[in-house]
Amino acid sequence: MNYLNSADLLFLSPWIILLFGALLILLTDCFFESCKNQLYGLTLLTFILAFFFKIYAPHTENILLTNWIKSDFVSHFFTLFFLLIGFLSACLASTFFKKFEAEKLDQGEYYFLLIAAVFGLVLIGSSADFLPLFLGLETLSISLYVLCGYVKRWNISKEAAIKYFLLGSFGTAFFLYGVALIYGATGTLNFDALLPAFQAITGKPEKTLFFAGISLVTLGLLFKAAIVPFHTWAPDVYEGSTTPVTAFMATGTKIGAFAAFIRIFLEGLLHFSPLWNLAMALLFVPAVIYANLVAIRQINLRRFFAYSGISHSAFLLIPLAASTKSSISSILLYLLVYVMATFLAFAVLTILDKEKRGLYLEDLKGLYFKSPLLAGFFTLSVLTLAGLPPTVGFLAKFYIFKAGWESGLYFLVIVGLLTAIFSAFYYLRIMSKMFTKKGDILFTSSYLNSSFFVAVICAVLLIFSSILPNFLFNAIYQK
Amino acid sequence: MSVLNLFILIPFFGSFFALFFKKSAKIFSFFISLIPLYILIFMKQTILSDSVEYSWVKVLSIYFDLKVDDLSYIFLFTTCLIMPIVILAAKEKESFLFSLLLLFQGLLFVFFSTKDLALFTIFFEASLLPVFFIMILWGGDESKKAAIKFIVYMIAGSSFLVAAVLALYFSAHSFNLDVLAKTAEGIPFAPFIFAAFTCAFIVKTPMFPFHGWLSDAYTEAPLTATILLSALLSKLGIYGFFRVGLSLFPTFMEKVNPYLLPLAIFAVLYGAFAAWMSLDYKRLISYSSFSHVNFILAGLFTFNSTGHQGALLQVLNHAVTTTGLFLVASFLEEKIHSRQLFKHRGLLQMMPKLCWCSLIFVLATIALPGTNNFIGEIIILFSVFQDNYLLAACLALNVIFSAIYMLRYMELNFYGREIPKERGFTDIGNEQVFLLLPLMIIIFLIGIYPNILLKNFGVIR
Repeated sequence: MNYLNSADLLFLSPWIILLFGALLILLTDCFFESCKNQLYGLTLLTFILAFFFKIYAPHTENILLTNWIKSDFVSHFFTLFFLLIGFLSACLASTFFKKFEAEKLDQGEYYFLLIAAVFGLVLIGSSADFLPLFLGLETLSISLYVLCGYVKRWNISKEAAIKYFLLGSFGTAFFLYGVALIYGATGTLNFDALLPAFQAITGKPEKTLFFAGISLVTLGLLFKAAIVPFHTWAPDVYEGSTTPVTAFMATGTKIGAFAAFIRIFLEGLLHFSPLWNLAMALLFVPAVIYANLVAIRQINLRRFFAYSGISHSAFLLIPLAASTKSSISSILLYLLVYVMATFLAFAVLTILDKEKRGLYLEDLKGLYFKSPLLAGFFTLSVLTLAGLPPTVGFLAKFYIFKAGWESGLYFLVIVGLLTAIFSAFYYLRIMSKMFTKKGDILFTSSYLNSSFFVAVICAVLLIFSSILPNFLFNAIYQK
Repeated sequence: MSVLNLFILIPFFGSFFALFFKKSAKIFSFFISLIPLYILIFMKQTILSDSVEYSWVKVLSIYFDLKVDDLSYIFLFTTCLIMPIVILAAKEKESFLFSLLLLFQGLLFVFFSTKDLALFTIFFEASLLPVFFIMILWGGDESKKAAIKFIVYMIAGSSFLVAAVLALYFSAHSFNLDVLAKTAEGIPFAPFIFAAFTCAFIVKTPMFPFHGWLSDAYTEAPLTATILLSALLSKLGIYGFFRVGLSLFPTFMEKVNPYLLPLAIFAVLYGAFAAWMSLDYKRLISYSSFSHVNFILAGLFTFNSTGHQGALLQVLNHAVTTTGLFLVASFLEEKIHSRQLFKHRGLLQMMPKLCWCSLIFVLATIALPGTNNFIGEIIILFSVFQDNYLLAACLALNVIFSAIYMLRYMELNFYGREIPKERGFTDIGNEQVFLLLPLMIIIFLIGIYPNILLKNFGVIR
């Protein structure tokens, strides 16, 4: 069968819908001055349509597709997950545009770039080969470079965008170079063919080439996931971007990187060499300690969430180092919980946002007495991120530790547990700020907007999955 | 729906619905908290024979597995007894406080009756949060600092627990305590796992080197949080020793007891000296509570059944006396607006009712014959004497020390010739006396005829 039939097109429908949605938004923005206010709705519609088409999309066996794009459970999960992230980010962005109307920002390009970034993410999540993976990474990165500096008048954003662009290009270049070396060593770029091809290698030069390639690819992905010592871009970029973009980066980019990790190292090259697992294990210890120690000192909340995000992605090195059966599901569960909690926090931050500098720790003072609901949302998010029971964050961490303990990484688990003490300290300190009476936090507008809607969705999901975690665990398990 | 189900769910639902009451939240939650007490007293046989089991997290094989046995019953009874008094004693009017109190009660119910080690861990840690919220919401700046210090200590302790539970799970492949009881001691690294458990419970109780958070938290926290911390939260570690230490690792317990027993006794005396030197009467009571909690641990560490019975009895006694002491101290603080010991003397002339009520709790703390603590402490002293008479002699010194510092509290506040300079201090009202009455009744009931409760608890068979 050398052509695509209708079932295959249905399988591709999420990409097609995203593509056409994005183009439609761009065209509407250019040519129909009067429809500019409908762009937000159009974006949401695109995501929702793609979401529903993906739920009912059939699997495909067509060789034209399966060589490039997988249609397994993980790709299904990631596609839905990324579409959800896109949807939630769009909601946050709409509040942001309303708040900063004075900046006279153009919305069309923003939504276009957002959809493009999600397109890239979905491609990463379903890639079966290094080529689509790289395409996805680049689509995501280029959109994000622009999104970072979206508010052209803010110097802080300009700096962030330039920084991100320069460092990000380095990361991508490393990745690409690594891919080239791997191809040179094995002659294939397909993930499924990679392990047999590696095992067939006999010569020492080829082996060196392969390992050099693997380490460069790993480095590129570690850069995208912002893991110490490749994290330096994250705090500055998070601080300089607008809050909704930061929310998208904190979730989308991170998950994209881990989707790539899952595809390459937990599916394609599972257990190809204990050296790689050792490297991940060795990386975990400094990464998690550094991120947690530095997070204690942060007073800008966007910057704080950058460091807390770095420590969370460092946590995901445990299942990568473990490479066991439950590794993939433990990563998926952790990511789900992390994304819900992060969006909850950023929804509250977007509602409270007032200046370009973002919110500082002191700005949260007295939030509980002004708006118990928002404070409650933020508290829930913070408790989940800190991994304190009875929130589902504890179970997510527990599952990671279980995966680590199973494969004998006792030391990592113990370090992880000890750093959890630090993280409890800084998360709870934020909480106690909110419950201080003295503060004079200002509400510039009512908070019944789309960000509030995001917060409600995430909060309900978090509470529900804390009481009945089986619901979440079912979502991450293959039927 | 079975009785046990109902028993566990009532506080949780109560906690949710209390949020919707504006002014009557206090009355509502008071009555809600009476229902479990009623169930425990009048439906004892039903609840002891009942059990609940659901699969909670299938993938991690965590079961919502509840069963009340004699051991759980004592701790549940203590919780049910203290909670209504805490709710009535709360001065704050916000419905959120009562919601948190009922939530705390529900979390403790699950903790004290679960048979699943993972659930045990989760609720061990979860029960901190309501107290933490009460401390940061209704306390001053000092209370916030104390709350952070307290929770960091607690989470550090819990991380030991998580590591131990994980290690146990991968050797025994089960979280069920009954299954683990058969296999726990034979698994590799069992001594280390036991040490981790011990650390977790010691921090929670707390024992001597890990009590750094205690005096600040007890002293600065609002009254409700102080009582929850001292009367109930300190029992979690003791319950842990009984539930995990004694049933999973009995031989290890026996081996480490010679080292832990002197430490506990040292902590008893340390607390006594610290209380003696305090110039702040709330801090004095905090250290006295610390000292007496370690008395319970001393009984626990003797490793004979007499000592364990004494410790179990002291669990209830300590909760009752500490609650009473903190209540009278807070009444006093409310009237004289000071926590300093040397500021006012001769208050007896102005507040006789408060003085007499205080005296009863003070005498109970000193373990005067005829009060509840006398029975518990004498049993513990007997059992320590069987173990090691030198240590028993040291422990017996505490009786003298507690008399010194508690009578100092009475003397410097209520007695003395001087007439307070500021006039216009009023005595406590009848409603406050009424609040203290159930505690006093229990003190004398156990003191004069202990068998009525000992038999009922199954402590003496």
